[in-house]
Amino acid sequence: MEITLTINGVKKTFVCNPGDSLLRVLRREGYFSVKYGSDDGTTGAAAILLNGKLVNAELMLAAQANGQPIETIEGMAKGIRLHPIQDAFVRTGAIQCGYCTPAMILAAKALIAQNPNPTAEDAREALSGVLCRCTGYIKPIQAILEAAAVMRGEPPTEIDVNVVQPLTFMPGDDGGQSVEPPEFPSGSGGTQTRQHILPKFIYAPQAPQTRVVGKPETKVDSIKLVKGNPAFVDDVEFRGMLHAKLLTSPHAHARIVKIDDSEARNMQGVHAVIHCFNVPRVKYASGGQSYPNPKPYDQVSFDNKVRYVGDRVAAVAAETLEIAEEAIRRIKVEYEILPAVFDAEAAMKPGAPIIHDEDDTEGIFDAQRNISHHIHAQVGNVEKGLAEADHVFEHTYHVHQVQQVPIEPHIAISWWDADERLVIRTSTQVPFHARRMVAPLLGLPVKRIRVIKPRIGGGFGVKQEMLIEDIVGHLTIATGRPVRLELNREEEFVSSRTRHPQTLTFRTGVNKDGQLVAIDMKVIGNTGAYATHGLTVQTVTGLRGLSTYKSPNMRFECFVVYTNIPVPGAYRGYGGPQALFALESHMEEVAHALGMDVIEFKQLNYIREGDPLHIAPMLGEGEAENVTSVPIIMSSGLDECVAQGMDAIDWERRYQEGWRIDPARPHIRHGIGMAICMHGTAIPGLDMGGASIKINDDGSFNLLVGATDLGTGSDTVLAQIAAETLGVPTEDIIVYSSDTDMTPFDTGAYASSTTYISGMAVKKAAEGVREQIKHRASRIFGLDSTEGIYLKDRYAWSPDGRSVSLEKIALHSLHQEDQHQIMDTASYVSMASPPPFAAQFAEVEVDTETGQVTVKKLVMAVDAGVVINPITASGQIEGGMTQALGYGHCEEMIYDDKGRMLNAELGPYKIYAAHEMPELETILVQTYEPTGPFGAKAIAEIPKDGVAPALASAIFNATGVRVRDIPFTPEKVWKALHS
Amino acid sequence: MYPAKFDYYRANSVEEAVKLLAENSDAKLLAGGHSLIPAMKLRLTQPALLIDIGKIDSLKNIKANGSLEIGALATHARVAASADVKKWFPALANAASLIGDQQVRNFGTIGGNIAHADPASDPPTVLIAAGATIHVRGASGTRAIAAEDFFVDLFTTALEPGEVVTKIEIPNLSGRKSAYAKMSHPASRYAIVGVCAVLSMEGDTCKEARLVVGGAVAHATRLSEAEAVLKGKKLDAAALKAAADAAIAQVGDDAMGDITAPADYRRAMVGQYLQRAIQSALG
Repeated sequence: MEITLTINGVKKTFVCNPGDSLLRVLRREGYFSVKYGSDDGTTGAAAILLNGKLVNAELMLAAQANGQPIETIEGMAKGIRLHPIQDAFVRTGAIQCGYCTPAMILAAKALIAQNPNPTAEDAREALSGVLCRCTGYIKPIQAILEAAAVMRGEPPTEIDVNVVQPLTFMPGDDGGQSVEPPEFPSGSGGTQTRQHILPKFIYAPQAPQTRVVGKPETKVDSIKLVKGNPAFVDDVEFRGMLHAKLLTSPHAHARIVKIDDSEARNMQGVHAVIHCFNVPRVKYASGGQSYPNPKPYDQVSFDNKVRYVGDRVAAVAAETLEIAEEAIRRIKVEYEILPAVFDAEAAMKPGAPIIHDEDDTEGIFDAQRNISHHIHAQVGNVEKGLAEADHVFEHTYHVHQVQQVPIEPHIAISWWDADERLVIRTSTQVPFHARRMVAPLLGLPVKRIRVIKPRIGGGFGVKQEMLIEDIVGHLTIATGRPVRLELNREEEFVSSRTRHPQTLTFRTGVNKDGQLVAIDMKVIGNTGAYATHGLTVQTVTGLRGLSTYKSPNMRFECFVVYTNIPVPGAYRGYGGPQALFALESHMEEVAHALGMDVIEFKQLNYIREGDPLHIAPMLGEGEAENVTSVPIIMSSGLDECVAQGMDAIDWERRYQEGWRIDPARPHIRHGIGMAICMHGTAIPGLDMGGASIKINDDGSFNLLVGATDLGTGSDTVLAQIAAETLGVPTEDIIVYSSDTDMTPFDTGAYASSTTYISGMAVKKAAEGVREQIKHRASRIFGLDSTEGIYLKDRYAWSPDGRSVSLEKIALHSLHQEDQHQIMDTASYVSMASPPPFAAQFAEVEVDTETGQVTVKKLVMAVDAGVVINPITASGQIEGGMTQALGYGHCEEMIYDDKGRMLNAELGPYKIYAAHEMPELETILVQTYEPTGPFGAKAIAEIPKDGVAPALASAIFNATGVRVRDIPFTPEKVWKALHS
Repeated sequence: MYPAKFDYYRANSVEEAVKLLAENSDAKLLAGGHSLIPAMKLRLTQPALLIDIGKIDSLKNIKANGSLEIGALATHARVAASADVKKWFPALANAASLIGDQQVRNFGTIGGNIAHADPASDPPTVLIAAGATIHVRGASGTRAIAAEDFFVDLFTTALEPGEVVTKIEIPNLSGRKSAYAKMSHPASRYAIVGVCAVLSMEGDTCKEARLVVGGAVAHATRLSEAEAVLKGKKLDAAALKAAADAAIAQVGDDAMGDITAPADYRRAMVGQYLQRAIQSALG
């Protein structure tokens, strides 16, 4: 049929099928800002304005829009002049991955058109249908209020940090280089609707004086994202591109006896059908990790056995997605159904079905008992310590399975280039690992594969995996054509990766004065059908569980167990959130049993500057050969974090009966809780980042990094580090990340490593370039040496006050004399993994009649060393806390007794939306970490650690009831209250 | 994800839609489509023809004149914002404002909503409590169905094949006190339990109570036992508790359970939300 739409003021006629959603037609016609998030429209990423009203283009047929005007954000900017809403999103740091940004901006436009004076509540409601997994909605809400103010003619708010005084030390009192905190601009802009933009900020006395680092620079990629420019994997057009579709297993455990693909193959428009009977059997492990990947290699592209509902069976490539979907329905598979097991403890028992009974997987600890790995580590003598302790306490906790839910699902497109090399454009956090790992599966040498990571719509660990790159590769090899595979939302839930469920038991010996004597930690981790990240996630659980508190005797005992659930993998926090829910809940229970104040008890025992981390060398991620010495804590702002957090949440209220019980609403109880958090910064001795910098004719620089910005802001942070070193503004650094043909190697975006590891590589490369610039400058100045020459404000300055611009230096070097490309490459690997610290606080309201827990406020005070960019750093904390809130409060993958996920869509599986967000407060407590670039440590993962235990603590404070398994759903809390 | 193949036709009048429905046994009406299109993508339904009635402007009006008439194609956003609805029956405006999110409310319609008869949906509960009448039109003419008789079962209404919902009529409720109280599913905002109370009061005494529950049972249902308990009573805490107990007993084994809220929990919440709706109506 033919339809006519007026899109951004231009009337166009299209041919489409009745079954085409408006989203499909708009994307096909090049309006790439309208995004796919799910087929049922629940992400809201496909929002457009229809007749000025925000509607969902995925939930309506193109035919329904026939004859009506449509707006997308492609129509908003006038050339380079951004619309005030776009400008506000850029300035307030409201954009992280940018995938849902177009929908948010349209929601803002519709709101402000209707109501020029929106309140924060109005803004939250306007965004309520657009799910965002990165920001926690705080900055987008601020952006809307800011935009409305500017559109009313008020002046823009100046964005700067909100400096507050420390509570536990005097500024500059430790003899280091003292820095006067800058004046904080009043910033309220005169309207009641605008809120503070940036977090509270406590300066580190030793932080270096910098001009670019430490400043709230706007993101280097924000313009393209705010305009909806085609930046993501799917925002390209290929002539002759085929669409792939997966056939996945309906059974939790079965052998594939026979596949009859003849009917599918014979369909018009079908070009290839691949499965275990026509794809070579090459063993691998899909976790995106350094060489050599941890064993066992228990996967193949297509196996003759399926091990969970959602496991791969076959894939089709066809002319259209519609044909591919139909072809999948016509593949006939004969299964021999096997008994399945879903519970990790049941899977270890004799007689349980053996999930990996194949004879070609090496390195399984005990295949007969479904144990992929056994991990053991001990410091001192735990049994002796427990025997000698005044008291011993034991508690068991359970943590459940959740999914990362990037709003952009996994997507990859592959094609043969002119040199007959296979190019894979993919949404990955690990482009270099993906290339190395996919090569043997495809039977191609690494040199014939190029992996390009364009803009990514969120990852959070789920894309630290070589997940679908082999499928598009196989299909391009089979057909010679470009092939695109995008997981739909249900497939993203069940056929990608998730967080490991665990059962954790802590047995702790403590003396009557509260001093810890022994900590015994036992964990059973459920790694689902494949081991992928099973060893390393569970290792990190042990490391995190036994790092925060000092004890002379510690032991970690862990079994990683195969079951028939969808596969857990990497998820931001990587074993840490599991450990810290159990650890922090347990420590609070111990304090309570001893009659001690929880904070005093924790402060008595937690680790401080100068303390050794004895367990760390025994619980490494494959780097044991490299790192054998016991690391020492070089920086910790934890005392200040605790003090700031207590102040911000008004901690003392928790002891007031009159506050906890509301006389006006007697069924409501209030409570405040807290948790201590400690994480790592990169994998020591293993994570490596590379960077190249070269000068251009105008004195700007290309920065090429293998580091993978998945929305975190790492491109910006790395540009700031280069700009600081080279004496230029951030805008003079053109960042390209990452492409295995173009950029140096990087292990990828995981383990909180990018700022620390890749940042140091950038700093080193920039220092090399700086030396070359100084040499060239000394020649122009007619000086014999570079001594005293420095770079500032795009100039090189001589000791006697002369200057020459970097542009002149570049032209001189590239064109005029003794020509030379000023460029350098550097890489970095660290033997240290300096922990960031944090104190997490939560305030809740519990409805004792319904069991509903309403989270009123979260406060997180974080020591991440010197913060390179407070705006992106606070965005990381807000977004991380919001994901952690979902983990503790409402998200849960639920199955029937056949292992079929019952809530593989974003309705029944609940992630937080804008309208229900609690107040979030971020406090950046700076310390100076001597091993980090400009004193930085990591920030990405630590906000995932403390929310669940802080909620447990707050619920206990409110009701006196302790819930030892998450999430705290109404029904669970109600039953706990009434049992 | 694509639906099965179908033909699409945009109807320009109710007459045309009724005629097409009569001629095509395998046809379905498309209003906003926010329930139908996802169901078609999942192949839960595979109509051969979709008759799009979304552009029939005569079905979009909301007017108050003796009774309140809401056209079947009024969007939830318009129902929520309508001054007439807010004045006439604020519980309905409130319920409409609690449906889904802005994108859903801007495109989903009240007529589509009730014809779909999702047990977790809000409008059926509120319309039954109001004593509303559903006006429909088919090949053999028009008829009026009491809201109470309209919702028959899970996703099942009293509509005959070929009938189109044209408008919803709400009687004059002046002098009554009403409120809708809902425990929302945290993500979809569908009702886990929704209770609507419409009360006729004489001083402190309840002359008549219309109490309806949705979400917890297969279709929105009057809580007649609880209504009887309250009739002629002073609405104090003891009366509310007795009504809640009666409601819980009436729901009994009919309570539905799912992964968000098992049946025993949902049943207990019927009692809680019944009390909350009455308290809210009394202000």
